[in-house]
Amino acid sequence: MYDLTAIGAAFANLADPFTLLMLVLGIALGLVIGILPGLGPPIAIALALPFTFYMDAIPSLILLLAIYNAAIYGGSISAVSVGIPGTGAAIATVLDGNQMFKQGRGGEALGLSLAASVIGGLVSVVALAFIAPLLAEFAIKFGPREYLAISVFGLVVVVRVAGASLFKGLLVGCLGIWLTTWGLDELNGAERYTFGTYHLYEGIPLVPFLVGIFAVSEVLIGAETALRKVEFDVTSLTVKLPGMKVLSQLKGNLMRSSVLGTVIGIIPGEGAAVAAFFAYSEEKRRSKTPEKFGTGIPEGIVAPESANNATVGGALIPTLTLGVPGSPAAAVLLGAFLIQGLAPGPTLFDERPDIMFSLFLGLFLINVLLLFIGLIAIRFAAKLIMVPMSVIVPTVLLLSVTGIYSVSNSLFSVGILLGAGVLGYVVRKLGYSIAPLSIGFVLGHILENALRQSITIADGSIAEFFDTPIGIGIYVALFLTIMWGPAMTWIRGKMEGVEDA
Amino acid sequence: MLSQRMANIVFLILLLVAAAYFAWLAEGFEAAGLLASSGLPSKFFPQLLLGLIVACAVMVLLAYITKGSAGGDEGQTVYGSPIDAVRGLLTLVAMIVAYVIWRNVGYVAMAAFLGPATLATMGVRNPVIYGVVLALAACVYLVFSRLLGTQF
Repeated sequence: MYDLTAIGAAFANLADPFTLLMLVLGIALGLVIGILPGLGPPIAIALALPFTFYMDAIPSLILLLAIYNAAIYGGSISAVSVGIPGTGAAIATVLDGNQMFKQGRGGEALGLSLAASVIGGLVSVVALAFIAPLLAEFAIKFGPREYLAISVFGLVVVVRVAGASLFKGLLVGCLGIWLTTWGLDELNGAERYTFGTYHLYEGIPLVPFLVGIFAVSEVLIGAETALRKVEFDVTSLTVKLPGMKVLSQLKGNLMRSSVLGTVIGIIPGEGAAVAAFFAYSEEKRRSKTPEKFGTGIPEGIVAPESANNATVGGALIPTLTLGVPGSPAAAVLLGAFLIQGLAPGPTLFDERPDIMFSLFLGLFLINVLLLFIGLIAIRFAAKLIMVPMSVIVPTVLLLSVTGIYSVSNSLFSVGILLGAGVLGYVVRKLGYSIAPLSIGFVLGHILENALRQSITIADGSIAEFFDTPIGIGIYVALFLTIMWGPAMTWIRGKMEGVEDA
Repeated sequence: MLSQRMANIVFLILLLVAAAYFAWLAEGFEAAGLLASSGLPSKFFPQLLLGLIVACAVMVLLAYITKGSAGGDEGQTVYGSPIDAVRGLLTLVAMIVAYVIWRNVGYVAMAAFLGPATLATMGVRNPVIYGVVLALAACVYLVFSRLLGTQF
């Protein structure tokens, strides 16, 4: 499980100057994109994806991991300083972070968010390094019925957290899966929705579709309000890192929020934003002075920031061990594995343990370096916050189309990118979430193959179809996850009734 | 302004029509030779999903018709203001025109068109921003063509 040769190779891989350069560059790019309002981690990874086509597996994956991790943290800088979260994950940070900034304690708030992000990230890397190999060893026993259960679990959980309407989430989730049925049938070679073009024989390509759904739809929405100005008159930001005394006072909060973030990251869904809010409300609930939350207190920054960065390591656990993405950003990251000819899953741990350990060690190093690069980036953040949306929209559009063309050398892929962008724009404008759409698209092939193989194995018998203890365990976990919210609401309602009486 | 209710009703009706069309298309999926008899037919999974899409679309449609909203969007509009709608939709059109230019004229013409066209659709009048965007477009071209060796 812990192959010492592979661990040694991982150290050697990370000592490579080009890999280190990509690591530092990834952190810097992630911070820039995270700070720019509206451009979150999935877009950051999607925009960098075409460049990885020209690299070896390890530097390319390290680059994208660094972007993913740093973009989540970068969102908190604009959340604290202007009250506009750079990413969805930083929305909870606005509540106390921006209040502290307005009270003249901006340096302290930025220092707390940076330290909490690094600690949350490090806790999740440790969890990733210990849980992922164990889960991979267990998952090697999985057959079609278990993969079907895992995929159904992932999709249903994403649909549940994606928006207020369950049916809207389910609709776009099914739409995402259905789009994967285009192309030649993998099991018997039948042509499905190819419309007479050979371009569609391999189906709708993953990378252009995901870049379109995330990046193009976002810039189209950004174009509507591009001329609105950001009220910000600071030319340079300063940062004051918390001392050991402050960290010691907040250690319970930091550990609880980091563990919570890691666990929520493992469950497929909109991890970082959900984890940040969950950790914030949990700390508020535990606090002896909950009324102080939202007025500008360190606890209100530390909880969401440690939790949202902890989701990175958590989301990578199902992504690397099962090939089931733990978040939309992880779904885009899967595209990078495919570009490199790697299929994430339990067999990858057997075949390329050096890559897996390089990723674990790389993520650890990314979090350590984030502390130092973050300190420098904060000084320049004021300039980035002032970059107008009118410059971002055409530049991101051009980068997206050029990047996709450079990967495939095909204008057909650019067409798919734009088509997916229009689809993403339409569904978002109509109040649907794109998370189930993207995760459905990533899981579609696994789901279809697993379902068809499971039905064939069962040979018409329902008992045989469910004759899988692991699968039943997953379905029970899914049932409990669905029932948890309504059950807790019911119990709280009953208890309040008793107290009132 | 276009309400969420009206826009969703139109979208869902179009989706139902499209689902019916694609389900009909799926009837023609045929595997050649010996593979044709192996396992479930190719149309099974797409038609299953189209069935689920139709079921969900009907539920959302009913919610909009009877309650006026689905997922708490009662009284909301698709766009914040008419000018937002014009800017968003014109940017979309500029993007599609740029793609057509790329197909028919070439990459450089597309890159030179896309930036100024989207700035114009967004209502930008500042010439400095036009200059910055064109300079960034030139950088993107140089990075991909010279550094990464992409043949446009």
